[in-house]
Amino acid sequence: MPIAAAVVLNVLGVSAFAQSESPPRLIAAPQDFKPAFTLEDSDRVATALNDLHGRPVIVHFFATWCEPCRVELPALQRLAERAGTLRVLTISVAEPEARVRTFLDKMPLHFPVLLDRDRSVARFWNVSALPTTYILDARLQPRLFVESDYPWDEVDVPALETSLSNGGEQHAVPSP
Amino acid sequence: MQYHRRDLLKAGGALTAVAAMPGFARAQSFAPKPGTWRKFEIVTKLEIAKPEGKVQAWIPVPSVNEADWFKSGDSKWTTNGTASLQHDAKYKAGFVHVTWDAGQSPVIEIVSTATTQDRAIDLSKPGQAAALSDSDRKLYTGPTALIPTDGIVKQTSDKIVGNAANDIDKARRIFEWVVENTARNASTRGCGIGDVAAMLTSGNLTGKCADLNALYVGLARAAGLPARDVYGIRAAPSQFGYKSLGAGSANITKSQHCRAEVYLESLGWVPVDPADVRKVALEEPPANLPLSDPKVAAARATLFGAWEGNWLAYNFGHDIALPGAQGPAVEFLMYPQAETVAGRLDCLDPDTFRYSITAREVSV
Repeated sequence: MPIAAAVVLNVLGVSAFAQSESPPRLIAAPQDFKPAFTLEDSDRVATALNDLHGRPVIVHFFATWCEPCRVELPALQRLAERAGTLRVLTISVAEPEARVRTFLDKMPLHFPVLLDRDRSVARFWNVSALPTTYILDARLQPRLFVESDYPWDEVDVPALETSLSNGGEQHAVPSP
Repeated sequence: MQYHRRDLLKAGGALTAVAAMPGFARAQSFAPKPGTWRKFEIVTKLEIAKPEGKVQAWIPVPSVNEADWFKSGDSKWTTNGTASLQHDAKYKAGFVHVTWDAGQSPVIEIVSTATTQDRAIDLSKPGQAAALSDSDRKLYTGPTALIPTDGIVKQTSDKIVGNAANDIDKARRIFEWVVENTARNASTRGCGIGDVAAMLTSGNLTGKCADLNALYVGLARAAGLPARDVYGIRAAPSQFGYKSLGAGSANITKSQHCRAEVYLESLGWVPVDPADVRKVALEEPPANLPLSDPKVAAARATLFGAWEGNWLAYNFGHDIALPGAQGPAVEFLMYPQAETVAGRLDCLDPDTFRYSITAREVSV
């Protein structure tokens, strides 16, 4: 069940957010530049972030060795299934193709699972722990951020999509 | 168990008192003593289960030579590919690089030898240790891709070290802090990754040897102490009754273990292994032992300054670029690596990769 808004998103960038260690909160994403990327999946199929311009996007960094990541991914999948315009891109950080392929055989995921083979995207996006998730608005500007696993089942997806699709006003974003 | 960074930083200012409790360790005998050299032969067999196109492999071989505890012997191989012994330029980490043409069924068997003995440094008797060269000091106090020495690593190290009187005090405080604040995580794949900043940022200080001992190395380097990971493999059972600290059989395919060293003036390179203290706590029967258990306490007292010579060292390397590889540098080279046209294989999945490593003791 969605929990009432605990985080306020100011799409213009003036934000004040409370962060606590438990439970995890979505906080304002740092407004520094996050470069677009094009990455391949384990079958060498490339996906470009810029191709998703016009839709809100969740960019989720994880690794198959990361226990909280493995637990979190099914919830992210359920969120993707509930989404309208929102798209989910996941990025495996510094893992070999074969390992990701084996992982996906056991846990099929219905969104792109891209490979950041040399950590270059993770570095540019200032990812310092896994899992880390950025939520981008329809202009692909990072708006929200969480540096831990997150209870995606509790997110009110339509409210989130509305928040991220509009610009210039304050919107309530459901968060536990 | 999750740890929270805030709590850890608070705890970091206080030195645990355990190091000052010598009676703790006495109930259990764990006393490695140098003097008896042991020679081991390790055989690494590698095939590629699904060879697609041109195939390459990079297989670590012992390449550490330290006069007082380790001598790497020859490595010889038989293969249907084209192989050569190579060393990375920075750390001199040795590995056999082998290539196969498309259509071949890749196979290689490497036989390596190495000689080692127990280590035990008397920390109360500073001697005439060889000075560390300027280049080695720079190398072993500097950052690696996953072991930064600034930011949260430096902040944490400063809090742990506090007003330590000297380098040995600093090194021990860091050892005790790692023992107190980390935990071995049985579900960590392989030996872990060793992403020290991520561990401290997330507050999740669980993992295995490549995580916990890399944390020691990073914190020590941030305190200005030269320190290094030593990547290797357990080759024989412990002679001190620690099932968790030895190879359970001749098949050592999954027995990789990373240790650590810290360089202290007048003592030289000192062996440390806080990760193995946590391994004893987790795995020694009946399992999940508290740090106050005599067996854990003995390991804790011993593994700052000593370790048992039932383990073989491969190298000290980080961020090793594999010649000819399509993929990125590896964080460390403790497992065989291979690539096909489909990309890099999973070195932590020896059964499908496919490789095996066996060890046997031979006469010196």
